Amino acid sequence: MTRWGRLALLQVVTLAVFALFAVQLVRVQFSDEALGPAGNPTAVRSISVEAPRGLIFDRNGVPLARNVPRFSIIATPARLPAEPDDRRAALLALERETGIALRTIEDAVTAGLASSDPFRAVTLRTGLSTEQAIAMRAALASLPGVTVEAQAVREYSSGDLLPRILGYMGAIGVEDVGSYLDAGYPLDARVGRTGIEQQLEQELRGQPGRRLVVTDPTGQELRSLGEVAAQPGADLTLSIDLALQSLAMDALARGIAGGLTRVEDDPDPTAAGAVVVIDVRNGELLALVSLPSYDIDVFTDHSRGDELRQVLTDPTRPLVQRSYMEVRPPGSTFKTVTGMAALQEGVATPDTRIISRGSISVQDEFNPDKQYIFRDWAVLGTLDFYGGIAMSSDIYYYYLSGGYVSNGERVFEGLGPDRLASYARAAGFGETTGLELPGELAGTVPDPAWKSEVIEQPWVLGDTYTFGIGQSYLAVTPLQMAVSTAAIANGGDILVPQIVRAVNDGDTTVPSTPEIVARLPVDDEHIAVMREAMRQAAASGGTAASGQPAGTTIGGKTGTAEFGKSNVDGEFPTHGWFIGFAPYDEPEIAVVVFIHHGVGSTHAAPVAHEIFEAYASETATVAER
Amino acid sequence: MIDRAFGRSDRWLLASVLVLAPFGVLMVQSATGSSLAAADAITSQALRQLAIVVVGIAAMLLIARIDYRILQRIAIPIYASTLALLAVVLLLGVAQFGARRWIGIGGVTVQPSELAKLALILTTAAYLADRPAHTRPLFTALMLLGAPLAMIVVQPDTGTALVLSGAWLGIVIAWGAPWRVLGTMLAVAAALTPLLFAVAVPGYQRERIAVFLDPARDPLGSGFDLRQAEAALRGGGLTGRGLFGTDSPLTFVSARSSDFMLAHIGEALGLLGATALLAIFALLIWRGLSTARTAPDSFGRLLAAGLTVAIFTQAAIHIAANLRALPATGIPLPFVSQGGSSLLVMCVAVGLLQSIASHRTPDARDRWNARRWH
Repeated sequence: MTRWGRLALLQVVTLAVFALFAVQLVRVQFSDEALGPAGNPTAVRSISVEAPRGLIFDRNGVPLARNVPRFSIIATPARLPAEPDDRRAALLALERETGIALRTIEDAVTAGLASSDPFRAVTLRTGLSTEQAIAMRAALASLPGVTVEAQAVREYSSGDLLPRILGYMGAIGVEDVGSYLDAGYPLDARVGRTGIEQQLEQELRGQPGRRLVVTDPTGQELRSLGEVAAQPGADLTLSIDLALQSLAMDALARGIAGGLTRVEDDPDPTAAGAVVVIDVRNGELLALVSLPSYDIDVFTDHSRGDELRQVLTDPTRPLVQRSYMEVRPPGSTFKTVTGMAALQEGVATPDTRIISRGSISVQDEFNPDKQYIFRDWAVLGTLDFYGGIAMSSDIYYYYLSGGYVSNGERVFEGLGPDRLASYARAAGFGETTGLELPGELAGTVPDPAWKSEVIEQPWVLGDTYTFGIGQSYLAVTPLQMAVSTAAIANGGDILVPQIVRAVNDGDTTVPSTPEIVARLPVDDEHIAVMREAMRQAAASGGTAASGQPAGTTIGGKTGTAEFGKSNVDGEFPTHGWFIGFAPYDEPEIAVVVFIHHGVGSTHAAPVAHEIFEAYASETATVAER
Repeated sequence: MIDRAFGRSDRWLLASVLVLAPFGVLMVQSATGSSLAAADAITSQALRQLAIVVVGIAAMLLIARIDYRILQRIAIPIYASTLALLAVVLLLGVAQFGARRWIGIGGVTVQPSELAKLALILTTAAYLADRPAHTRPLFTALMLLGAPLAMIVVQPDTGTALVLSGAWLGIVIAWGAPWRVLGTMLAVAAALTPLLFAVAVPGYQRERIAVFLDPARDPLGSGFDLRQAEAALRGGGLTGRGLFGTDSPLTFVSARSSDFMLAHIGEALGLLGATALLAIFALLIWRGLSTARTAPDSFGRLLAAGLTVAIFTQAAIHIAANLRALPATGIPLPFVSQGGSSLLVMCVAVGLLQSIASHRTPDARDRWNARRWH
């Protein structure tokens, strides 16, 4: 072949290639049926597919939150027959099959958003049973524009036991719209509101998938091109023991009822309380009870609007989870902290003896003629350190916290407010515990600087005295009380309370690890003295003896904290408190009971007594298995 | 003057470029102008393209008037400086879209791999022009190809590497390389391809090839562009959906005005528009090879063959990728796609073809043309 011939050959070859391109162009543009009927302009759309939301279980595997299908009859107005006669016939058929009145259907498909966007689906009826849905789907198969669709909805089985802790699923709140949209949520997404559902939204949601579909000009799907599978949300195991939670709630209700019988002149007393049960070894919360409570479904069940309104307007505020969302003075339960501070600082030893004659008087700092009287709850006689806790002597703790000056002579050197405040903070008060739930309060640890700034008054000796016995400005949550009690029980570790025990994302289970935020700045021997003092308090003859269960030795301490306004006799209403741990030798759990109107030993301690016994019998049952 | 300017140059070649380049400006405007902006506002991309077209056509006319034969003497320095530039890119280049192809000079980025097309064609043609068609010079020529090719594959820029190889093959075929040796070389290349694929082909390129073989593999990622290109072509039908304003499946394809230009044209102007485009390219290639056939000397013939086959290869890869006959390699459609370096190099190539054509030996066909046009 000549060189000229070679170039001619190249000319022919290149021309042939272009001819082939022309053929391929025609094929792609016309005869390739892959993407739908020829000549019909199609569009490729990417549709987001929500992943199944993670389930929530209690520590024993009892389901707390599940996904169930909700069947609805959906109409798309634009796909209903356009001709008036056909349309009427179709709607009549729909009326016949579903029993929904023709007028209702007509109104639904012509009103509101449906009128401006006829492709917007209208829900005609929801809440069909599975059997109804199947029957209806068959009956409606021949009707264009009407379908029965299944939608995953959240179902909670725990009633009023854990409403605030679990939260619920709802529309995105106005203030959160921006951040949810940034995270790739559609505007009409259902997201976790409050509680675990909100706090662990990211884990529970998983990773939504995408579906690429070819649609015709009306938006009807012609063909699926592919799918990126959704990554299901992680399942959560909570540390909560639902059976114990339930038992504690019943016991607390009885304790609250008992406390109310004592209220005489308050016409509308607050029937409220809280219980915290914490594992002192790792911080896991076994129960987190708050009363009054509400049914978890009132926020999502639209047919229960009246109940919801009642929940929202109830003056006792059931929406407040009282174990971590409300702060109250802890009363004498706080003597455990004051006592350990005094031992550590050398203010007291186990042998320090103080005589309680029923009251002490203190001269006014600015007016020597004026005397203040600080009373004990009874004339208790001579007490050593153990007796001070066991009998809960207020005078003993006035001495430890503020010291005592008699006839111008300092007979006892106390801790003083600043040292006391620093130990209170070290025990976890005045700061949130790190609980993984929204809405936790920090409370208040007062000191002179705080008082002059907030109350704008100078700190006086009386403030130190009342601080030392857990009164006046000191405000704590039952959960903080549980953390500090757990620290006494476990030898000084301040733990982060854990509500989520494990996160299981399908492949791996990630257990939560105990988190120690700090250690009590108190030596082991002093903590041991406090444990022994609490054992004596819970033993027969002690003030906390009513908390003692059968068969187990515990350490306990009651508190009865005055609050509000005094009545005509000069008596104040009181909160009832109990803190305790068990078993005494090798502590496993700590229990805190708070009752809004009550007395520690009479009303709060018996609640703990029931919880300790239930825990012991449950542990025994598990051990037998 | 006009007679002097266009003289005996090839009017079909000239006409092709004068149609394609301004058409490109229009299509860039159409592809980059969104329905959100005012329809009559010219986009910055189209404006830039227009400027490049003006410069490119001026350069083409200028080069058409020089004597291409002087290039034979300066081929070696051009080749050496191009290799140096390629080395600079590898060391200091600007990475874009996962590849290192650009170097920045005072705010303008240029692509030395585009320059390498001209340099390689020039050098190979100059080297082979005066040598007999034997095996030994062929292997020397293969080494001339090898050096820039290696540096471009590493960048990585598979599309340009293919264009270089195509142009080189065009030159050696026109030169008269023995078919048997060429066949052996291609067989060896084919055998080495899997090895090269495993060692040198970057992950994204491998993924593109895998997606090409099975678009459902990743319908939302790499497969997305291919799907959308196909959907766009389908949407175009016979006469297209018009230049402006319609919602296009290509809206979310990033390289709509460059790598997916043909799909965009097919959508906007339909089968008729796209076929007309193919025809103009076929004409351009045909006239380029005719120029080679009628070149006055061996250098001119090889140069014209190399330049034409380079244009052909680049156009063919772009078209094939858009028509789902080849994996997407990210290569612009000559003269039409948005992009400066490529357009300028193509204009220079056609300018050189013109220069060769104006020195051609008249044959019967050209005399007929001359009668008709004078």
